[in-house]
Amino acid sequence: MGRAIVVTSGKGGVGKTTTTANLGVSLALMGKKVCLMDLDIGLRNLDVILGLDNRIIYDIVDVASGEAKLRQALVKDKRFDSLYVLPAAQTTNKDSLTPEQVKTIVDELQQEFDYVFIDCPAGIEQGFLNAIAGADGAIVVTTPEISAVRDADRVIGLLEQHPLDDQPKLVINRIRKNMMDNGDTMDIDEITQHLGIELLGIVVDDDAVIRTSNHGEPIVMDPDNQASQGYRNIARRINGETVPLMQIDDTKESKQSFWSKLGNLFSKKD
Amino acid sequence: MKAVSLKGTKNGYELVLDEAASFTDSIAELTDLLAKLDHDYPTKRMHLDIITGNRLLNDAQRDEIHRLFANYKHLLINGISSNVITIAEAKRIRESENVHVIYQTIRNGQEFTVTGDVLFLGTIHEGGKLVTSGNIYVLGSVHGVIQAGAPNSEDKFIVGDLHTAQQIRIGEQFDIVADKQIKGSFQNVAYVNNLHILDYGKIGELKQINPKFYNRIGGVQ
Ligand SMILES: Nc1ncnc2c1ncn2[C@@H]1O[C@H](COP(=O)(O)OP(=O)(O)OP(=O)(O)O)[C@@H](O)[C@H]1O
Ligand SMILES: [Mg+2]
Repeated sequence: MGRAIVVTSGKGGVGKTTTTANLGVSLALMGKKVCLMDLDIGLRNLDVILGLDNRIIYDIVDVASGEAKLRQALVKDKRFDSLYVLPAAQTTNKDSLTPEQVKTIVDELQQEFDYVFIDCPAGIEQGFLNAIAGADGAIVVTTPEISAVRDADRVIGLLEQHPLDDQPKLVINRIRKNMMDNGDTMDIDEITQHLGIELLGIVVDDDAVIRTSNHGEPIVMDPDNQASQGYRNIARRINGETVPLMQIDDTKESKQSFWSKLGNLFSKKD
Repeated sequence: MKAVSLKGTKNGYELVLDEAASFTDSIAELTDLLAKLDHDYPTKRMHLDIITGNRLLNDAQRDEIHRLFANYKHLLINGISSNVITIAEAKRIRESENVHVIYQTIRNGQEFTVTGDVLFLGTIHEGGKLVTSGNIYVLGSVHGVIQAGAPNSEDKFIVGDLHTAQQIRIGEQFDIVADKQIKGSFQNVAYVNNLHILDYGKIGELKQINPKFYNRIGGVQ
């Protein structure tokens, strides 16, 4: 039985789909059988950043409604024989899936794959409940921005109310070292401590991520890129290896934390 | 032994339903008694307290008594009272007088609602909310909204360090903490003053702030 992991965040645009695609490719590179499920119904993206959008015949709603067999709807990756995508539907009807239907599909995929990643839509409504329905564990993606961290907190609260087998784990994406060093954003320890869940890994902000996604070639294909290494480390930790947290180069001398800096801003000078 | 007896008291009349008698007997006697009162004093207005002793009447039984009285305009029920309460009611009372120890993280969007006093050892994140009808003693950290005396008791207070909270609410009064200068000290007490405004003091001033509470916890006069 493989493990099903939902990739979620609350806030939109923090990198759920990018994370799902890159973890999928990393684990496929490691020889694992991986299926990526796109549950962002109506806003299908996962296939695009993997460059597979031209190969879609059926989608998850076709499978749920019985119009297609699961096997028929799975799209095989063009690079790896062990990587598949189950595309989202492009319908606008948000009630076109139920949690039970999703769970049935996830259960079936788990029979065949080592890892099933579920790309969750933004928000905390039905789409979120569908996405977590069949999962054993969750990856909560946030960026260092306060609004993203707030939404991650909200989602972790919801995951505590609908507990999965494994505790949720944290990925901090789009880290900009200079801003963090200057105390303009919360730093890694502050975010992890605040959210109170285990840190699974960090990924730097890098234009190459956007560039490669635009070409349907996930960044992890480039072994020398720092964002790629971040995703590869996360994949290895998911696979049970112990990998030390990556150092984003040198550290500046007098680093001031985000909170103490905020404190300075607001404290009165008397 | 009579199933129903009528007594005059300082404040009017007491109608005692003997707890050992069957309810059917009590109703039969009560029917006769009311008819007799009506016959003997057809115009005298009487207010009666109905006492049921160690018996608890159910709703149907209460209704039956009310229906009997409805036949007589001048005979009125002040109230029906008993020495005993149901287990459910007892639990509710105990619940509301208990100090609840809460050791939990209340996250963004979560609302934790309690009845009674709270000893809070957890963390309230930004956007999280702790709401209770009683007082709150904070030893944890508060970055969200904290409310004592919900929905509208102004005689409650919150003790503890609240300077990092988003909002402090007591009864219907609230403060946006960012707009105030609230000192960061576990000795602080937030309360509603005589002008119905949220105010802040020190634990040492509790006697002046809330004499009733001070006496209840055994403060020395
Ligand atoms: N580490 C990164 N560095 C630079 N850009 C990134 C990084 N991660 C994601 N992005 C970019 O951020 C944008 C949003 O990413 P993505 O679509 O993965 O987010 P999402 O959480 O899936 O969004 P949605 O909520 O809309 O589904 C994309 O343009 C993506 O290329
Ligand atoms: Mg997405």
